[in-house]
Amino acid sequence: MFAYLIASGISTGALYAMVAIGLVLVYRSTGHINFSHGELFMFGGFIAYTCFVILGMPYFVSLVVAVIGGFALGVLCDRTVYRPLIKAPALTMVLATVGFSFLIKGVARFFWGAREGGDYVAFPAAVDPSPIPVGGIMVFPQQLLVLGGAFFFVVVFTIFFRRTRWGKMMQATAENATAAYLSGIRVERVYTMTWGTGACIASAAAVLMAPLTLLSPDVGFNLLLRAFAATVLGGLGSMPGAIIGGFLVGIIESLAGGYIHTGLQEVSAFIIIIVVLVFRPAGLFGIRRLRET
Amino acid sequence: MLRLFSRRNVMAAGVVFFALLPFFANPYVLFIGNLALMYILLSVGLNMLLGYAGQLAFAHAALFGVGAYTTGLLKLELGLHYGLALVAGVGLATVTGLAVALPALRLRGLYLALATVAFAQATLWVFTHWNSVTYGGAGFRVPPLDFEPFTSRPDIGVYVLTFVIVLVSVPLGWNMLRSRVGRAWVAIRESEVAAESLGIDITRYKSIAYVVSAMYAGAAGGLFAGMLGIVTPESFDLFQVIVHFCMVIVGGLGSLWGGVLGAVGLVGLQEVLRAFRHLQEIAFGGLILFTVLVIPGGAVSLLKRYVPGWKEPLRRTEHDE
Repeated sequence: MFAYLIASGISTGALYAMVAIGLVLVYRSTGHINFSHGELFMFGGFIAYTCFVILGMPYFVSLVVAVIGGFALGVLCDRTVYRPLIKAPALTMVLATVGFSFLIKGVARFFWGAREGGDYVAFPAAVDPSPIPVGGIMVFPQQLLVLGGAFFFVVVFTIFFRRTRWGKMMQATAENATAAYLSGIRVERVYTMTWGTGACIASAAAVLMAPLTLLSPDVGFNLLLRAFAATVLGGLGSMPGAIIGGFLVGIIESLAGGYIHTGLQEVSAFIIIIVVLVFRPAGLFGIRRLRET
Repeated sequence: MLRLFSRRNVMAAGVVFFALLPFFANPYVLFIGNLALMYILLSVGLNMLLGYAGQLAFAHAALFGVGAYTTGLLKLELGLHYGLALVAGVGLATVTGLAVALPALRLRGLYLALATVAFAQATLWVFTHWNSVTYGGAGFRVPPLDFEPFTSRPDIGVYVLTFVIVLVSVPLGWNMLRSRVGRAWVAIRESEVAAESLGIDITRYKSIAYVVSAMYAGAAGGLFAGMLGIVTPESFDLFQVIVHFCMVIVGGLGSLWGGVLGAVGLVGLQEVLRAFRHLQEIAFGGLILFTVLVIPGGAVSLLKRYVPGWKEPLRRTEHDE
């Protein structure tokens, strides 16, 4: 029981970590939290659904299309929401991204939602769905795929962020936008790239997750809250913190759901957010300096 | 003639319109009118917290729900008189608002937004899962109301009650905004450090903002339970937060009368799109985005510019943005 719960916690936690990475990436370079990040995730999942189920493309191709589509949507978010409001106060930006998120959600519901039997669509498993034994416990192959996929994307992203020119430009912009601008970095392009990359990873996470759960236009907000919990737990603005926080949230949820009450699985993320923000706003291993906005 | 559409005249016309509505409207139009009045209460409360005090709190729909559930459940389970149940609903919503305020006082900006989003979702979870008390996801029916000595039609009874509450509490809120309290809120919104150095007790005035806005939300919730006759968790989900936000933002953040106009205007939109969830989301999400991008001051900023006699103290001016 315990090993099973831990295993399923780790595989969902990997997804939370992926969504949280995008959130932190945007937060670090722009200082704003993208409240539409969950909807970018959801939309990526539906792009893959269209390719995989409706058009019958292979799973891997669908994943690539979804990642590219996610990038485009992230860029759209940058152009329509972030760029025009770049000097606006934090409050305005939150309201704008919240508005944008509902706009996307409505569009997704228009295309893929409101079928008979609710808004949920099933996403068939990419691999053989029967559970296989791994080290004494039964796991679903899709869970392994999720874990492997998440690991792959996190590693690729880390290499991109630390080693490539674009990644270094992102870091420089996050550190000090004015200095980056003065040393010849096109800060605005970096912002566009940042929003796009964040949405990319979220889309990939959605494609990995979809076979395990169902897909619906409302799924984005749940994931967004899990990602909030992960980033808050790891310390808002810390990249390794967000990854560890993602796994922790997944495991805590799974254990709370398994041992205390099944309903607690849904609500534990909210409790984590509230408790951490009230008692330890810097997170578990967060940055000491508390940002005010 | 020049000042025909001044704020005072428009508001007076609105009061006359809503006062006469029960005499000529059919039950459906009356219901819409009642919804509009209820949304006015919500928007005034939200505007105080969000527009004037600048606290980005998402807990408003949850407090609205607490008011509705308390009123409805007291009426259903204890058979309490509707008036008493309504007062209890306002009371519990206010206490909940205070309970939100205590931790929220430590948080600002994004942290506050995150914590209150989580609080709103947790409250919704309680509404959905505490089956033994809240009747779970399907909700419950409120027993028919009884306004017998005054009128035999409960819908007119609720309407008049809502109208009277609006008529009392909106001017009350307006006066509050023009008093020391309202000025303190605006000072806190603009800069907490500057406000504190002026001798404003930030903790105290922020708490007042949360409590007063919770009272408005609770009253609106109790009236909502009474007029709709059915209480379900869906009425208080995040989409409702968007509807409330949209009314305040489109009307004008930090302008009480703008929020009132936004509430009345958008009730119609919501009714037209009632059957189409996706179109509602596109419309309200898009409207928020459009307003924030194109007319940051909301509809009221256009009125201020083009309609003579539309003045309002403490409003957010152009160069604040």
